[in-house]
Amino acid sequence: MNYRFSRRDFLKTAGAATLSALAAGYAPRTRAEEAIEPITPTADTLIVLWMAGGMAHTETFDPKRHTAFETGLASDKVLSTFQPIDTAVDHIKFSEGLENLAKVMDRGTLIRTYTGADLGFILHSRHQYHWHTGYEPPQSVACPHIGAVIARTLGPLNPDMPAFIDIGQRFEVGESEELKAFHTAGFLGTEYGPFFIPNPEDSQAAVRPPAGMTPARFQNRYKAYKALAEAGPIGQMGSAYQQESLLRALDNAHRLLNSPAATAFDLSMEPKEVYDRYNTGRFGLGCLLARRLVEQGARFIEVTTEYEPFKNWDTHENGHTRLVEMKRLIDAPVAQLVLDLEERGLLDRTLIVLASEFSRDMVTEGKPEKLVKDQVEVPPIMTEPKHYGMHRHFTDAGSVLLFGGGVKKGYLHGLTADERPCKTIEKPVILSDLHASLYQALGISPRTNYEIESRPFYVTKDGLGTPITELFA
Amino acid sequence: MNLRTPILCLFAVTAITGAGAGEKPGLPPPNAGNIDFATDIHPLLEARCASCHGGGKSRGGFSIESRETLLKGSETGPVVIEGKSAESRLIHVVAGLDPDVVMPPKEPRLTPEEVGALRAWIDQGLPWTLTATAALAWTPPLEPRRPAVPEGPQDNPVDRFLDPYRAAHSVVSPPPISDAQFARRAHLDIVGLLPSVKELEAFRADTAPDKREKLIDRLLENRQGYAENWISFWNDSLRNDFQGTGYIDGGRKQITAWLYQALYDNLPYDQFVAQLVNPTSANEGFVNGIVWRGTVSAAETPAMQAARNVSQVFLGVNLKCASCHDSFVNEWKLADAYGLANVFSDTPLEMVRCDVPQGTMADTKFLWPQLGTIDPGRPVAGKRVQLARLITSETNGRFTRTLVNRLWAKLMGRGLVEPLEDMAMEPWHADLLDWLATDFADHGYDLKHTLRTIVNSNAYRMPTVRADPKEIPYVFRGPEPRRLSSEQFLDALASLTGTWPEAAQFNLPNAPQQQPVRAWRLNADPLSRALGRPNREQLSLKRDEQPTTLQALEIANGATLASLLDRGAARILKDEPPHPDDLIERIYLHALQRLPSNEEREVAESILAPHVDSEGVEDLLWALVVLPEFQYL
Repeated sequence: MNYRFSRRDFLKTAGAATLSALAAGYAPRTRAEEAIEPITPTADTLIVLWMAGGMAHTETFDPKRHTAFETGLASDKVLSTFQPIDTAVDHIKFSEGLENLAKVMDRGTLIRTYTGADLGFILHSRHQYHWHTGYEPPQSVACPHIGAVIARTLGPLNPDMPAFIDIGQRFEVGESEELKAFHTAGFLGTEYGPFFIPNPEDSQAAVRPPAGMTPARFQNRYKAYKALAEAGPIGQMGSAYQQESLLRALDNAHRLLNSPAATAFDLSMEPKEVYDRYNTGRFGLGCLLARRLVEQGARFIEVTTEYEPFKNWDTHENGHTRLVEMKRLIDAPVAQLVLDLEERGLLDRTLIVLASEFSRDMVTEGKPEKLVKDQVEVPPIMTEPKHYGMHRHFTDAGSVLLFGGGVKKGYLHGLTADERPCKTIEKPVILSDLHASLYQALGISPRTNYEIESRPFYVTKDGLGTPITELFA
Repeated sequence: MNLRTPILCLFAVTAITGAGAGEKPGLPPPNAGNIDFATDIHPLLEARCASCHGGGKSRGGFSIESRETLLKGSETGPVVIEGKSAESRLIHVVAGLDPDVVMPPKEPRLTPEEVGALRAWIDQGLPWTLTATAALAWTPPLEPRRPAVPEGPQDNPVDRFLDPYRAAHSVVSPPPISDAQFARRAHLDIVGLLPSVKELEAFRADTAPDKREKLIDRLLENRQGYAENWISFWNDSLRNDFQGTGYIDGGRKQITAWLYQALYDNLPYDQFVAQLVNPTSANEGFVNGIVWRGTVSAAETPAMQAARNVSQVFLGVNLKCASCHDSFVNEWKLADAYGLANVFSDTPLEMVRCDVPQGTMADTKFLWPQLGTIDPGRPVAGKRVQLARLITSETNGRFTRTLVNRLWAKLMGRGLVEPLEDMAMEPWHADLLDWLATDFADHGYDLKHTLRTIVNSNAYRMPTVRADPKEIPYVFRGPEPRRLSSEQFLDALASLTGTWPEAAQFNLPNAPQQQPVRAWRLNADPLSRALGRPNREQLSLKRDEQPTTLQALEIANGATLASLLDRGAARILKDEPPHPDDLIERIYLHALQRLPSNEEREVAESILAPHVDSEGVEDLLWALVVLPEFQYL
């Protein structure tokens, strides 16, 4: 590990956080924290690799019988459009196109039975809100993103590094307002909100002076500011408290911008061959950035393939060809991230989770036994290659891949049906329990709660999430 | 695992069967001192008793969702005997006296201190409220009260009420703020803009003894300025915005044009609210709420959203808990929330408790049936008319109290009642609250009248004092420091440089020209969000004013502010380059309503040195607008 923080630094930060929470007056306060048993964490950092738009399990980590395309093929005959491949673990098969990940499966745990919420109507934004906050929208309070919960509960790992870093999602796309609604700390307050790196290929923009400003000018501006603040009539305008909290916030910001941690954002410092290995596109570079940030002590990072309606994993047609590309996008960089963290001795304390809001199927929309509004036209007989792929939204099984942070190595959890509907048969995993497992790995009780308007808000829904102990070594 | 337990639907208790009686040996003693339900008991019950039972469950026939159900006991008899902890079955099972029935069934057992807290709670009569201990005895009046204005030397009734209060609390009044500070406060509070250098100089030069009152009158007469400032206050609480969740498929409608006009016309508040409760197509966006695609929790149907939003904004009643189950933090029941939601529904609603249908239909009723009834047989519009009448009824003191408290909080940084969402809490000055409320009604529900009354008080003219959070109950020592809102900050910056946004999301009705475009008329952007403009998916009564690191990062290197400064500096330098001293003086006067000290002048000159160019001007502007003195009122 190449980061070390002195206890003194930690206390300084913790003290500041407590002070600012007190000062906020009506800031959320923890309830019943004393009653919650301490949990020994197995991870310091969580990385969420978000497969936005619905990643079909039968096309990725849970392959079923393969049927090649031919004109006139009945849609309901097709379970997988890719051939299965072997992985480093005998009894676990992946889909073709994930060869690099297949090689590192012996480092991880695969859940095949994530079952999504039943919202009566498939909506990516609502399911994504649910996955990221633990609560099905709408809610009467602004629910915090899990990254914000972790930032609030654990604080930064390296005091110079924002505790919640969100990589790759731009908000100029369709449904952007719905996306913004959960990319937030909600009622916990903006202190715990996401530090956005929308463009990982230009991640340094987030930590360098504004465009056109030299570092020297940036420093001088801040120095002059502090001199003016000191020279100003503090007492006359009220207590010194405002002065202090504003100055402290600015100090924190400038400390980040000038700290060694900021160099983590500079991908140009990577050797070319490493950069190229990761560079399958924006997502791949996001993974490289995540690795660099973990090396500098990041607490929570999300890297997304980016949600944009009908793009990326959101395949309403041409599912097969699109997935060739999506798998190419994730396969090498995610595998490399695992290997690099392992090589640096950081994988043991970094939990990586690769997940999606739901899966897809060629025939079933939603859950098999429920009738929900059909959102995709799927002809019963395929006449063109664009019909070949998983185009409907399926919520009754989905794959979640975990590495590091104390999870078992080479472990497979759950079983899905081999015939349509390829639904969960054994060991269903619901979101609260998945979140409880992630939180537990970080040492956070699923019953941790924060007060809002005199009511407790639990970090897993109603505090009922139960960690899945089988996932951990 | 119960998948259907809704959010915050907590607090059921583990089953307790069998009955026990009598003192048993080995019981931990009751804890000494007064028990506070909110801090000592509620978290414990939640943490240790709720895990097996979502809100809707009562295993063994026992539930502690309310004090009533607690006292009712279980299938097999009483569980708690008020005042007698040693004889209460609850204590026996949590203390583990009976090895066959130990609660909670999962390890770890309660500690002796926890058992002691429960004992003390039972012995002290089971206090059941989440209010601070001091407020336990308070019963909020519903009817209006007209307390007599105390005699005294001061003119403004607010000060007459506060003089004896200050004496009683030994609060020494500091001298009032200077003319310049007053001008800044008044301009920002009423029209949301900094006074211009010219306005400031004219005000300072004026020798009339009533110049402050005259300034207030002038500002209040600026109908556009007032509307453009106060619309953000109402947009937050009526959750109105130009974009957001729901607009994508017509599931949400904005009310901006109606709202702007209502403020511009200073529509009397009783009519303002009546029109919002029973709207036309121009302002139906408020009660229609957000229609989500797909199925939603029963607590989030449009009718229930309307019930919750109307009661929260206009009556200071928080129905969030009660829209799902009987609340355990306030007095409101599921039936109350449904009674109000029925007003907004074509057909009577079946009560749904924690997403479990109850098989019973809700009665249509107002929160306080003693004020009048709503005819359930009427169509929605008819029921809404009746509801509007009940809300704005002269006999409903809660209506006016809620509004004047919100105005007071906006102008003074802290309400007479806190938190703002719960008007059942005890005010720190009940007479002042009640007088303001009836005075507001007596003056035709004129929002500007009450604004004027408050800003003309000496209380408003006191230097700001940050309340000591440890001082409970709160004592008023002066207005709290308040941060410029996101909109005020951006407008202030624009006015300093004369550079306003070019295009707006909203065109002002009846305005001959659409310039300048003030920040409220734009979509939210990363900077305005960082500065506290809320996501208006939920209503918000108060913004978070706390400076945060992420906000500071946005200020330090965010592209939005950098580009505003860049444009602003270019504008300042467009004509002939100003002399540094003139520029520094002008910016200080405009931004801070004062001239720089020699020391400040030196620093400012060093920023502009060696010659005035755009970089120097940008950096000087940046340094000034980030100063606490600039950002706080």
